[in-house]
Amino acid sequence: MEFPNHHRQIVEDLMSGKFVLPSERTFAVLRDNEQSYTYFFKASFNYDLKVTQDFIYLVSDESNEMLSRDVCIFIALLSYELDRDGKNFLERIQFSEFEVEEIENYFTNSSYIDLILSNKQLKDADSRKNFINTLNRRNIIEKTADSRFVFTSAHKFFMDFAADIVKFENVEKE
Amino acid sequence: MKAEPRTILRFLLEYFDIINELYETQSKGGVIPYETLNLITSKHNTDIKSQLIDYKILSSVNDNYEIRTVYYNLIEFILSEFKPLLPETIEKYHVSISELFRKIKENINGDKVILNQRLTELANEIRTFYEMVEKNTISLLNETRELKANVKKIDYREKIVRASRWIDEYIIPLNKILDINHSASIANKLYDISEYSNRYRLNCDDESTRVLFEKLYFQLIQVNDNLLRQSKILTTELLPLIERIRTESIILTGWITFLKNPYKQKVPPMFESKRTNIYSNNTFFNASEIFEQFKNETDIYFEDEINTEEKWIFDKDFFTNKLKSNLPVEDFFKWCNKTLKEEYKKVEIEKFFALTTLAFDEDIERDFGKTPEFDKIKINDLTLTVPKITINKHGIS
Repeated sequence: MEFPNHHRQIVEDLMSGKFVLPSERTFAVLRDNEQSYTYFFKASFNYDLKVTQDFIYLVSDESNEMLSRDVCIFIALLSYELDRDGKNFLERIQFSEFEVEEIENYFTNSSYIDLILSNKQLKDADSRKNFINTLNRRNIIEKTADSRFVFTSAHKFFMDFAADIVKFENVEKE
Repeated sequence: MKAEPRTILRFLLEYFDIINELYETQSKGGVIPYETLNLITSKHNTDIKSQLIDYKILSSVNDNYEIRTVYYNLIEFILSEFKPLLPETIEKYHVSISELFRKIKENINGDKVILNQRLTELANEIRTFYEMVEKNTISLLNETRELKANVKKIDYREKIVRASRWIDEYIIPLNKILDINHSASIANKLYDISEYSNRYRLNCDDESTRVLFEKLYFQLIQVNDNLLRQSKILTTELLPLIERIRTESIILTGWITFLKNPYKQKVPPMFESKRTNIYSNNTFFNASEIFEQFKNETDIYFEDEINTEEKWIFDKDFFTNKLKSNLPVEDFFKWCNKTLKEEYKKVEIEKFFALTTLAFDEDIERDFGKTPEFDKIKINDLTLTVPKITINKHGIS
């Protein structure tokens, strides 16, 4: 039996919860073999493979809800603070590099301080440092240096969720 | 009749949904109309109007009702849903705090009882003032975030009108109260009180007054820190409101809505990575089972079996002599049975067969009779069919 190139890498990355990004060599292989990989993950593990033009990821019945919630809170707070600071938050998150110090400034001076202090992964500088490493492992951000990072295209996964919140709220009201 | 405090609290808990609805009605309209009260209680299939009045949760105003202030504040606090107060309401603390402080300074060497009373009341006023400022900042933040999120899709012109009202009527005056650099601000006054209490907590003659100054001083450190934070929020987040509401984004609206209650919202599914174990899933249990065996090791001793009964050895000479002395024996097997009974009271099969071996003694003269005869001998549960053997002679005797 023959598998596509980088098969092992593909399985390892997706099974460790990473978003596979267009910049990776595995992305093209996955897209070219979307059907067979969808079948492979469904038949082997009952996981769903989701392919978008910006990222590819796996979905299982059990979701890491806590991590997902914390990532949402992190991006939500950062978006809010960037906007409060007069920046175009979407452009900044999409295109520019962040210094950990800048993140620290936003979080320590945020008016959402009660929420931040009550969150285990975001409550202080050390927790936030670990959390940024988790985001890096999941390919949501990419570290460009020890204390600098950029958001990858996987951030759109969360931005789409934020946009949906309003859509669903409006639908419910209607 | 005054109700038991626990009964009232249980009542509040049990009927919180109704009370919450009443609270919302009053928040919007100022009062709870009689019809609305009936509507809300009947919607929940219960008639608790009399309890609401008896427990003094509601009071009647003309034909309508009102939640009493103490319960209103409690619900407001629990729900963290404060309504912004006009700064004039907060400003009055400037007067009471300044007045108490002036009198404390003027009568520092006067009546200690009155001085201590004033210090306690000053601490209370400062606490109430701070709580009010905090409530106001929270409510202003909520209101302005709503305006920024603009879920209700109000048009830009209306947004500007509302933002301007917030800024002119609430935010700027509150900022003045909290501006430490403004000599007439309450924050500035609190700074003076803090300095003064720091001095007197160390060098006041009366111990009880010293303790009160000390308490006041530490309370003010905390309050001043918190006020500074509130002031920062006002200047960085609330004052630039008009600038901020210029931009609108569906994503930011989503995030602001999400942050209102982040732990109650559904979140997008993220893959739960599973660790692949290179060993069996049961390894832990198997290992623990093995280790548990040695956990409470008990000493095991092996003892040699001690035979309490001496092994019976067939004494051939003894029984041969016995046979000789009983000669002639008409029926050998019956004799065996009888002899054993005499010797051991009980016949055992092992002994019986041992004894019958005497019949094979070469020195014995056996007579089987002309026709073979058989007898039945019962030994314990065993019935043996044996031939009749007569023994007349042994050896040369």
